[in-house]
Amino acid sequence: MKETLTFNGQTVTVEADGNTPLLWIIRDSVGLKGTKYGCGIGMCGACTVHVDGRAIRSCVTPLSAVRGAKITTIEGLDPEGQHPLQKAWIATQAPQCGYCQSGQIMQAATLLKDFPHVNDQDIDNVMNGNLCRCMAYVRIRKAIKLAAMELLQNA
Amino acid sequence: MFRRLSTVFLAAALIAVVGLYLVSSHRAIAPVTFLGVRAFPDEQIVRGSVLAGAANCAICHTSKSGQLFAGGVPFNTKFGIVYSTNITPDSITGIGEWSEAAFARALREGIARDGSQLFPAFPFDHFTKVNDEDVKALYAFIMTQRPLSRAREPNQLAFPFNIRALQVGWKWLFFRPGVYQADITQTAQWNRGAYLAEGLGHCSACHTPRNSFGAESVSVKYNGATIEGWFAPALNASNSAPVPWSSNELYSYLRNGGTVMHGSAAGVMSDVIHNGLVKLSDEDLHAIANYFAAINGSSHATTESIETISALNITSATNVPATDPGAQIYRAACASCHYNRGVLHIERPELTLNNALNAPSANNFIQVVLHGIGREEGLPELMMPGYADVFSDLEIAELAAYLRRSRTAQPAWSGLEAAVASIRTKEDGT
Amino acid sequence: MHSPTLASRRGFLMFAAGAGVAFAFAPDNFAMADSGKAALTQNFEPTIWYTIDSTGVATVNIIRAEMGQHVGTALARIVADELEMDWNSVRLAYVDSDPKWGLMVTGGSWSVSQSFNLLSQAGAAGRIALIEEGAKLMGVSSDICIARLGVVHAGTRSVSYAEIVRRGNLGRRFSAEEVKTIPIKSPKERRLIGMPSAAIDVPAKTNGSAHYGIDAVAPGMVYARPKIPPTRNGSKVVSIDDSAAKTVKGYIKAFALDDPSATVPGWVMVIADSFVGASRAADAITVVWASDDTSRISEKDILDHGRKLIDNPGGGSWVVEDPGVDAAFSGAHSVLDKTYTTSSVLHFQLEPVNALALEREGSWEIYTGNQWQSLIIPILAKALGVSESKVIMRTHLLGGGFGRRLNGDYAVPAALAAKAMGKPVKMLCTRADDARFDSIRSPSVQTLRMAFDSAGAVIGMQHHAAAGWPTQVMVPGFLSKGVNGEPFDPFSISGADHWYSVRAHRVRALSNDLANRTFRPGWLRSVGPGWTNWALESFMDEAAHSLGVDALNFRLKLLDGVGKNQGSEPVAVGGAHRQAAVLRRVAEKAGWGDDMPKDSGLGIATTFGQERAMPTWVACVARVRVDRGSGIVTLEKLFIVIDAGTVVHPDGALAQVEGAALWGVSMALHEGTELANGQVRDTNLNSYTPLRMGDVPIMEIEFIPSANASVGLGEPATTVVGPAIGNAIFSAVGARVRHLPIRPSAVLSALVTRS
Repeated sequence: MKETLTFNGQTVTVEADGNTPLLWIIRDSVGLKGTKYGCGIGMCGACTVHVDGRAIRSCVTPLSAVRGAKITTIEGLDPEGQHPLQKAWIATQAPQCGYCQSGQIMQAATLLKDFPHVNDQDIDNVMNGNLCRCMAYVRIRKAIKLAAMELLQNA
Repeated sequence: MFRRLSTVFLAAALIAVVGLYLVSSHRAIAPVTFLGVRAFPDEQIVRGSVLAGAANCAICHTSKSGQLFAGGVPFNTKFGIVYSTNITPDSITGIGEWSEAAFARALREGIARDGSQLFPAFPFDHFTKVNDEDVKALYAFIMTQRPLSRAREPNQLAFPFNIRALQVGWKWLFFRPGVYQADITQTAQWNRGAYLAEGLGHCSACHTPRNSFGAESVSVKYNGATIEGWFAPALNASNSAPVPWSSNELYSYLRNGGTVMHGSAAGVMSDVIHNGLVKLSDEDLHAIANYFAAINGSSHATTESIETISALNITSATNVPATDPGAQIYRAACASCHYNRGVLHIERPELTLNNALNAPSANNFIQVVLHGIGREEGLPELMMPGYADVFSDLEIAELAAYLRRSRTAQPAWSGLEAAVASIRTKEDGT
Repeated sequence: MHSPTLASRRGFLMFAAGAGVAFAFAPDNFAMADSGKAALTQNFEPTIWYTIDSTGVATVNIIRAEMGQHVGTALARIVADELEMDWNSVRLAYVDSDPKWGLMVTGGSWSVSQSFNLLSQAGAAGRIALIEEGAKLMGVSSDICIARLGVVHAGTRSVSYAEIVRRGNLGRRFSAEEVKTIPIKSPKERRLIGMPSAAIDVPAKTNGSAHYGIDAVAPGMVYARPKIPPTRNGSKVVSIDDSAAKTVKGYIKAFALDDPSATVPGWVMVIADSFVGASRAADAITVVWASDDTSRISEKDILDHGRKLIDNPGGGSWVVEDPGVDAAFSGAHSVLDKTYTTSSVLHFQLEPVNALALEREGSWEIYTGNQWQSLIIPILAKALGVSESKVIMRTHLLGGGFGRRLNGDYAVPAALAAKAMGKPVKMLCTRADDARFDSIRSPSVQTLRMAFDSAGAVIGMQHHAAAGWPTQVMVPGFLSKGVNGEPFDPFSISGADHWYSVRAHRVRALSNDLANRTFRPGWLRSVGPGWTNWALESFMDEAAHSLGVDALNFRLKLLDGVGKNQGSEPVAVGGAHRQAAVLRRVAEKAGWGDDMPKDSGLGIATTFGQERAMPTWVACVARVRVDRGSGIVTLEKLFIVIDAGTVVHPDGALAQVEGAALWGVSMALHEGTELANGQVRDTNLNSYTPLRMGDVPIMEIEFIPSANASVGLGEPATTVVGPAIGNAIFSAVGARVRHLPIRPSAVLSALVTRS
């Protein structure tokens, strides 16, 4: 089937089976490689993107479920790559291998949208679904708090 | 045992009604030539479209891949499969030759233009309450739809249930015809709500358990019922949601497709809300909400606000017992969207308050975990992926058991793994 | 007295480094004087290790895999420090495989330690050449010139490296011998090494532009997903039925691989025009295999076999054999004898293994992330039937290494499929495929014995360890020889050859042949120390308790730094004294000896990281709380103190320790699998449960300031954590656990045993 979606502000028509996971549409049809495949069952978070502004696991989301939706990937989170979270990720040197980090950042963006005054409990519970196999958790936590501070100051 | 008794009783009843049939057969109403769009005033058509929304005509008369009102939707009843009919004004396959009188008789008495009996899968037992003016408007709306040629599917009913004439007996037992009569002890709003809910809305068709003849059991009206693998929850005081379904909550659920204190619509109810009730005015929706708030007893309860519920300090934080596989799944796959703290977020459905998780049947919970909720199903643009291809029956059962135990005060669900398997199998069949 | 012999691993590395130097400073690769002025207006490439262009930007060639350790940054800072570069003008180039690089391997936490002198001298050579030419351009003597931040200064005059590259005649030549004699800076003169800095690879990892193996594409490529046979080694394809796959969109074909290298016996490749197509087709295809007996092997069989091997006193390789061990035990006043086990562990690197293979102009190009190109290229050559010079590995970032990609077996099926298809093939394993194909950390069995005299002094010790040996299976040439002449896998026993003075010490390593047959044992972050330290440091605790003495003091007393444990210049200088120092410091930090709340406890452990020849001194205290009802252990806090000598990239070093320590926690309390019917039982996150954000304890990590030689940091903190937790559980509730991972059920039964 043909579906028209918006990827990072650009309208794209893709042709694929309705049950094709959004992840592979993003990576192989649209060619945005920043979104990663990790577990394929929605439990590692590496494939996290925004659908209509909220984090979802694209590996378990079929194309048919997002017809007409606005998809945002890590490449589109900020036009310059300067989202407060991205800056905080660099400031804290959070990434190690970096493979999970697109998903971590996209999930954290929704976390801070919902919990601008974020605390450790919020971070634990919302970010538990994003596995970091390098176990860079200490810095991811630190980066989220740093970004939250910047967002609050700008608010 | 109960089943066997029912069958015996059923057979006896059937024999009895054969006689009845002989004395009460119906004549055909003469066909009319299709009158065309101009035959109806615009206001009447517009009004009819709203009423068709209230009645959710489109849901039952539009198949998944099919065209609007052309029928073909299968209904899996305990007697077999009944298919909905083409109600577009196509002269041959639809109802283009039906006069208004024929249309009114079908709606209110369950008799087709040719005089044959309609099966009560068509809720004429509710539509009988619709007043003349509304019938006219509905007729105007339907007859101005695009005529579509689509031959009807033959029903798959076992003998003797396939004998239409036998419906006479069913009607004699369970059908009370008559236009809605206002209850003068109630307010005008209550009466408006009752008229819509009991008439065109036919809410109890899904939300009331049916007896062995497939009729609504009046003694347990609105107690909630299992239908097509889903559970249509109780609309009376027996509803098990932790926060009462107040008039405001009902209204916002019916208007938006979900509420922060009860969760999101899914399955058939999504269509009812987004394709049917969407046509209704706020006033009418408030009336329906008010009517059910009166039925479930919440109209006298303190109005619950997000703030008061949030003040309960619901902690949806996962304290994961390392030994609980359901908890492990929840925290990795679910918590990122379902965790809450402080003021509840409508985009973060709070499972402690969730209607499905608190329901007596696990069906809705299982359905949603298996298939997710599309972005047009519940709250606009809010979606949940389905996990049918991801988790085993056992894993979904473990997740359900964990959440039921940790998030609600309800008794544990039993037979979960089998329930998941059964819901999966049913889908494979359709 | 025989000294511990882990020498051959070390020797091999020294050879490798030597070869690198020889290549690096081959005259043709050095100065470009002979090619005339025109060439010099291009780039200055004094060694193969870096170039400086006419804008003054230095690009450092990185031959190590970038997998999260920011190795490129650390190595470039070593070069740039001696080269006196402005760090802002330094770039990295992760290079493809080429014989000129010498040995290409990234593992063992060796990279910095191995490259430090080589790259320092390469940088110094460039600086000397630039100063000489800068002096000429300014018309001054080079004696009065210094270089700072990419500029050569002579008093108030200066000339930038950029200008020197543009205008100068960089003609100075160095022979390899000369380079080896170039002195490197004293620690005081360092301007980059040890200073705070950001890692160069980080920004691309925050915006989606970082390029991993999985992201590689080629025109005209098709996708492949394997059907993995029921056993790792002994399966043959009997039949393939793809009738159900014919309706899958984009499905092309499925075929059994013919693999002359015997790397992936019994593999079937399913080809489609998309990964989703290949994956769904693979699910729909039925393959019948004939498998060997390992299809019935379970975790218990392997552990039982390990016990049997240990029980045979004549078997195995004597890794350490001090005189008088038998006498010490026969004359002992008392003997402590305990057995420890560990379960299988998955690498679960988040990027599943994958490779894109294609043939171009007679050469085979493999696009993938890999940790040991030099190991897999000959195997690829054999599989493809071409010479090694016809195989190139194109380098990509690794979505996690942890040792999984030291074993490049995943490149072989992609290459074979590309050959069979006659077009580029991108093979990607699903997560479950990756888990089944993983070269897991072997289950292990170890028996430790200690002999005491009547005064409670330690007079002898034995350590017998049986496990699958990755090195035996994959690189038998790298096995070391024990004192009895039998080979052993140094990676699988390292750690047992500890720095405690125990009078008469015996270490015996046994290859679990059943493990080696059933699966392909892998090198997993730390390899053997993951089990040897678990046993050793749990046992030291048990020994202290059996004597009724403090577990810290017991260790400190044995870390006397006498005899073979006094250490040696330069890398292992200080020996056991440095291990004692980190132990004392961590105890002090953690409040060792303080009263603890009920059911809470502190546990201590210490290790020397990876190997005796390159010791990273580590000590850890874990604070746990144990729920007696459920057996659930909550890790509240970790204190870690490390002496790693000179730390090149302090923030990167800290990140490695944070990650490594949490790996240790994860393997102790959260993850772990078991073999059942010849396969790992857990293949995805629905049942394999590595540590997540909410499980992270508070961590206090401290480095001992040091100017000693640099050692490794990627792995050492991994293995000290498990025994610290086990010992803390004992201290909290008196329950002794001897199996990793520690499950609540084991804590409960240990509580019962105690009471």
